[in-house]
Amino acid sequence: MLLAVTAVVFIALVLLSMPIVFALGIAGVVGLVLGGFPLQMLPSSLVAGSQNWVLLAIPSFVFAGTLMERCGMSHALVDLARALVGWLRGGLGMSVIVVSYFFSDICGSKMAEVSALGSTLMPPLRRAGYRPEDGASLIASGTAMGMLVPPAIFMIVIGDVTNTSVVALFLAGFIPAAVIGLCLCALVFVQARLLGWPKDTRPSWRFLLSAAREALVPMVVPVVILGGFYMGAFTATEAGAVVAFYSVCAARFYYRNVSWREMITIAYDSALLSAAVVFLLAVATVFQYLMGVSGAPAFLAEILKPLSGSHWLFLTGVALMTMLFGMVLEGLPAAVVLIPVVFPIATKLGINPVHFDIVQTAAVGIGLFLPPLGVGLLMALRFAQIPVSQHAKAYWPYVLALLLGLMLIICIPELSLFLPRKAGLVR
Amino acid sequence: MAVTGWRRALAALPRFVLAAILLVAILDMLAGVLLRYVVVAITDYFDWPTVSFFWVEEVGEFALCWLTLIGAAVAILERTHFALAVLTHRLPLRAQRIVERINHLLIAGFGLLAAVYGWKLSVLNSTLVSPGLEINLALLYFSTVVGGGLIALDGLGVALGLLHPRDVVRPEAAA
Repeated sequence: MLLAVTAVVFIALVLLSMPIVFALGIAGVVGLVLGGFPLQMLPSSLVAGSQNWVLLAIPSFVFAGTLMERCGMSHALVDLARALVGWLRGGLGMSVIVVSYFFSDICGSKMAEVSALGSTLMPPLRRAGYRPEDGASLIASGTAMGMLVPPAIFMIVIGDVTNTSVVALFLAGFIPAAVIGLCLCALVFVQARLLGWPKDTRPSWRFLLSAAREALVPMVVPVVILGGFYMGAFTATEAGAVVAFYSVCAARFYYRNVSWREMITIAYDSALLSAAVVFLLAVATVFQYLMGVSGAPAFLAEILKPLSGSHWLFLTGVALMTMLFGMVLEGLPAAVVLIPVVFPIATKLGINPVHFDIVQTAAVGIGLFLPPLGVGLLMALRFAQIPVSQHAKAYWPYVLALLLGLMLIICIPELSLFLPRKAGLVR
Repeated sequence: MAVTGWRRALAALPRFVLAAILLVAILDMLAGVLLRYVVVAITDYFDWPTVSFFWVEEVGEFALCWLTLIGAAVAILERTHFALAVLTHRLPLRAQRIVERINHLLIAGFGLLAAVYGWKLSVLNSTLVSPGLEINLALLYFSTVVGGGLIALDGLGVALGLLHPRDVVRPEAAA
């Protein structure tokens, strides 16, 4: 009853165009009052949700991405990608998917990743003639797929919650991410023909070499981050700061095209966008509390009982719930609220924990980018500067491609288990 | 003229603060990497007393908390918060304005609640200190008083027609 009233208030306010974060907050306050909970939960949740070391990666990656775009670094990367595959129909779109895969390898936070990719890739996509909704769809679906590419923070959390080897999860993610990536590339191939996306002329070797040389400065970024991660030198958060520092040095001493005053403006814009995202996550923690105390987890466990007849049906049901949780509550709260409830049922059914975790990771990734509320999607749309309603028509084929990839991962457990098995981490 | 200048400077203050907090957070994280991998190596090599860097995480988290709560208020006027345009844009212009004012009145109420209960929480935590820098924890919770207060002021300003979203002064314009 408590949750139902809260949900009705939330939906009503969202329909009246109140900013989603305040609709969540006001509905949360209504829930606290109706439930007789102390209203001190509100400031307490705001502080607990925003006082987060991991989320600190967001402002620095937004700042670095915006600065890299401003001084022309991203142009060099996109030029190289276009020189390599742009001459194919839909080649730039495919290069976004490939870039997302490799960028996920260097950035553990989805929000930071969508910030970096959105600010870096959206302007070149627009310049190349892609509609804003197509650009946002490519970045959103690519980043959703990248959830499975290690080192994802969500994998560390779910590994901890289900007591599963994080190294096994990291290894397990590579092939499923590639499977979803292939589904998306196939869609881009078809879309390019249907929508007549532009095709570049085949570049000369001289142009290709020149593009590679220009891309050397931005290519230092993934090399530094990968090296830092593999040597254990810094976390994703610190990597954001290192990249921000590198981008400031490159802008001032190599490109020499951004003034200090412009940097202050970029810092302000980055801070504002980051604040909007982190505030949303912080306000969502009030909902977590309400769900926890109203017995929602036990209720969900009861709902899932009829699905326990077959593995794929159970995993599909749980994945759908995780997607909805991920869309409303963001990925990490979904892991903390839902996964501990359903994981014991999964192990009782004989589902491999690594397979279960990979399916849930993929589902959370898709949920984060599911319209109309997925925070990742909303952030990608901020870079495209279009509303959800305008974007939805162009986005549904991408959602279907993501779901097709998810079903393949659910129905073929070996996609997740092959690499960990080879490494001796799974029997 | 002078009054207008003051008003512009006052309006630009939260924006300067936001840019400054972001830069402090980035420098803090860089300092953490430097301390852990350069300074510690040097002190280990010369067998000097170890340099503590527990404060790095604390400063970063405090900075993000303040940035989020002040930014959430400024974002009301900048229209940075995510919103769905499902029904209201189909209403007559007058009705749209009324809905927007009611929405901002509710937002002001939310900010006021955050500020009032944030103040109580600050008082409650004023006897505790952070483990690294031993800063009074009231300083952390006071961010909800400032952020909530600014949200209430901005929300009320828009609801009463005194402030208009996107009618803002950028840092470089006020400099």
